[in-house]
Amino acid sequence: MSQPVLEVRNLTIALPPGADRARAVEGVSFCAAAHEIVCLVGESGSGKSVIAHAAMGLLPKTLKAVAGEILLQGENILGASDQRLRELRCTRMSMIFQEPMTALNPVMRCGEQIDEVLRMHTSLAPQARRAKVVDILKQVHLPEPGRMLASYPHQLSGGQRQRIMIAIALVLDPVLLIADEPTTALDVTTQAQILLLIKEIQRVHGTGVLFITHDFGVVAEIAHRVAVLRAGELVELNAAGDLLSNPQHEYTRMLIGSVPSITPRHRDAPADAPVVLRTRALTKTYAASGWLHRRAAVSAAADVSLEIRRGQTLGIVGESGSGKSTVARCITRLIDPSAGEILLGGVDIASMPAGKLRQLRRHIQIVFQDPYRSLNPRRRIGDSVIEGPMNYGLPRAEAMTRAKRLMELVRLDPNSLERYPHQFSGGQRQRICIARALAMEPDLLIADEAVSALDVSVQAQVLALLDEIRDRLNLAMLFITHDLRVAAQVCDHVAVMSRGRLVEYGPASAVFANPQHEYTRALFAAAPGRSWEFGSGNTLM
Amino acid sequence: MQPSAVPAEAAVARINGGVWRALRRNWSVMTGGSVLALLVLIALAAPWLGTVDPTLFDPASRDLLPGAIGEITTLEGETIAHRFLMGSDGFGRDVYSRVIYGTRVSLIVGVAVALVSLIFGVSCGLAAGYIRWLDGVLMRVMDGVMAIPGILIAIALVALWKASLFTVIVAIAIPDIPRVTRLVRSLVLSLREEPYVEAAVSLGTRTLHIMFGHILPNTMAPLIVQGTFTCAAAILVEAILSFLGVGLPTDVPTWGNIMAEGRVQFNDFPHNVFFPGAFLALTVLAINMLGDGLRDTLDPRMSKRI
Repeated sequence: MSQPVLEVRNLTIALPPGADRARAVEGVSFCAAAHEIVCLVGESGSGKSVIAHAAMGLLPKTLKAVAGEILLQGENILGASDQRLRELRCTRMSMIFQEPMTALNPVMRCGEQIDEVLRMHTSLAPQARRAKVVDILKQVHLPEPGRMLASYPHQLSGGQRQRIMIAIALVLDPVLLIADEPTTALDVTTQAQILLLIKEIQRVHGTGVLFITHDFGVVAEIAHRVAVLRAGELVELNAAGDLLSNPQHEYTRMLIGSVPSITPRHRDAPADAPVVLRTRALTKTYAASGWLHRRAAVSAAADVSLEIRRGQTLGIVGESGSGKSTVARCITRLIDPSAGEILLGGVDIASMPAGKLRQLRRHIQIVFQDPYRSLNPRRRIGDSVIEGPMNYGLPRAEAMTRAKRLMELVRLDPNSLERYPHQFSGGQRQRICIARALAMEPDLLIADEAVSALDVSVQAQVLALLDEIRDRLNLAMLFITHDLRVAAQVCDHVAVMSRGRLVEYGPASAVFANPQHEYTRALFAAAPGRSWEFGSGNTLM
Repeated sequence: MQPSAVPAEAAVARINGGVWRALRRNWSVMTGGSVLALLVLIALAAPWLGTVDPTLFDPASRDLLPGAIGEITTLEGETIAHRFLMGSDGFGRDVYSRVIYGTRVSLIVGVAVALVSLIFGVSCGLAAGYIRWLDGVLMRVMDGVMAIPGILIAIALVALWKASLFTVIVAIAIPDIPRVTRLVRSLVLSLREEPYVEAAVSLGTRTLHIMFGHILPNTMAPLIVQGTFTCAAAILVEAILSFLGVGLPTDVPTWGNIMAEGRVQFNDFPHNVFFPGAFLALTVLAINMLGDGLRDTLDPRMSKRI
């Protein structure tokens, strides 16, 4: 192995007093050589981003490195002055971030933002700078460099913005690139392209890459070596192939085992179960009509026809903007559909007035994506759980009894009903939201990206819980997700959506084994880590 | 997964206790709050602080300097010796007594205006933010109110009705209502998109209960902060109105009235303006400090600290 470009030795970073643990990072040592991609993997709060920021000299003042050193080609970053750090950034080390929209300056043209780096760090003439900027845009495969240079960040797509970020990071050919979850905010097909690009550029330039991620699929795609972090400590460091196929540490085994397999799980669902909900040609159009001129209408969902049967799970899979959440919100009537029918037990609720609809709302309940915003922070969770039943006239005492029973069902302590949401972790809050939905004794439970914000180990637990609940209560479930692996594990039927339309709809086993539509095929091809069979030790039943 | 081992009661006590502890640690809250508490105490205990009836006058004791001893005639016609701690004015009234009693007026006006504008502003803001078809109408009315200068409304109202505490409070509160409305509306517009509000909708919760049970409690922190600033501004405006002669009747001791009457003699006897002015400045400073501190603790989004 060649000389390491980045060497982290016994790094220890203290958290401010009052935090949940004393050290953000404790005694972590690893190195990254030129031509090498090292992945730092861990769940939220494992300290992976803290290490990345420390390596860039970007630690907030409240976090102090109390021991160890970070060597960039032998030079200690932790002791470097602000001026020295400024000289090193972009010239020797660069960083790309999760959200390119906020990492780019929204009021500066992209070309100027790349050019700024050159102006700060080199004494090139404007002509030479311009040539270099165009050259780097070609390297990151952005079409029409002229138009890209003149565009503001909001005029580009997420993937294009991330390419601009990569161009800024690599224009001065640094020896080290730190990528902090660079594809997490992107759609799966875009993610696949960006991962390819990082691999390609890294190979051409011989850059050492420190890649932060929580996704083992991404690890399988890109990593040469992997460092697994848990609560600030390095638990395992190994070559990617060895680590994925033969994890040594129990925690690594648990993490890899929690990644859902992309092969659908076979489940015998009764095919002739009664239909709980059926949509016919459901359409939602946002017509932005001005006073003086009509603007073009935006079609968020068009002609969506689905049916969900008792005891079965229908998954709607799609990328952002595909209209999958619009369908879910139309079905719950959080937004009003523009056309089509929503038949709940034979009654059309698509255009039912609010007063009449109120009696039917209890049949359809929804669990949202963000566990931190789904519960009113100023209410005890008990009050949140019993709110629905009490709305329909159940006395408080009975509602509380039901809430206690549900807390047991979702594996939480029934005595914790007196607490406030902030005293629970994300996974626990999501369980509370499930309990709140079940308190209404619904026929249809909608999970709108309900496990997307959770760490992979917690995600596996919540998925198992949802599966169990559906079977025990014989619920119909509508599962909205962007994650094919999750869909493969929980869905009996899958509907793939793209640009507001259903492009493919059928039994999960058939869709996954033999996708018909070209978009579905592209989606599957882009799923990271497809070549690895994850989830062999799966905890799902 | 097990919930963490903190007992439930202790945990609930912790979040309530946490806010109080944070407030007690805040230098600005403690200073502003203490000064304000002292002023409230002064207002309540005014008769027992060596004051005389603030309307009493004695021509023999006109234009005394602070600390001088003179005499003053009570309502019963009895003449007693009195030390004029802050001197006397051109009618021979005790400035100290008038300033101390003026504290009552200022604090009542400040608190009442804050309450009135919050009550009306919150109602309008909630309605405009949550009931979409009302939004356009209500907000255009508010824009209209905001387009009229506050002092002008006050002068018009005092001219229309008679000058009284009630008139002054209404006159100062009206221009503040649109400000509170705008604040509440903007908060409601973002809160109504929160998943917990959508969850309440799908739980069949009635609209009124969503507005007052789910949305309103979550606007409280910025509202308390806004209330303190409204209170401070109202005290200032009341003084301005009195000073211009369109506030409370001249026989009522308010800081503005005392300064207005002292203005003509300012070159010779500056104490008539200085003492009420100092009290006014101190009160407004204390309330603003309290508001700043509350904002830092209760509304961390607005704060510069983490």
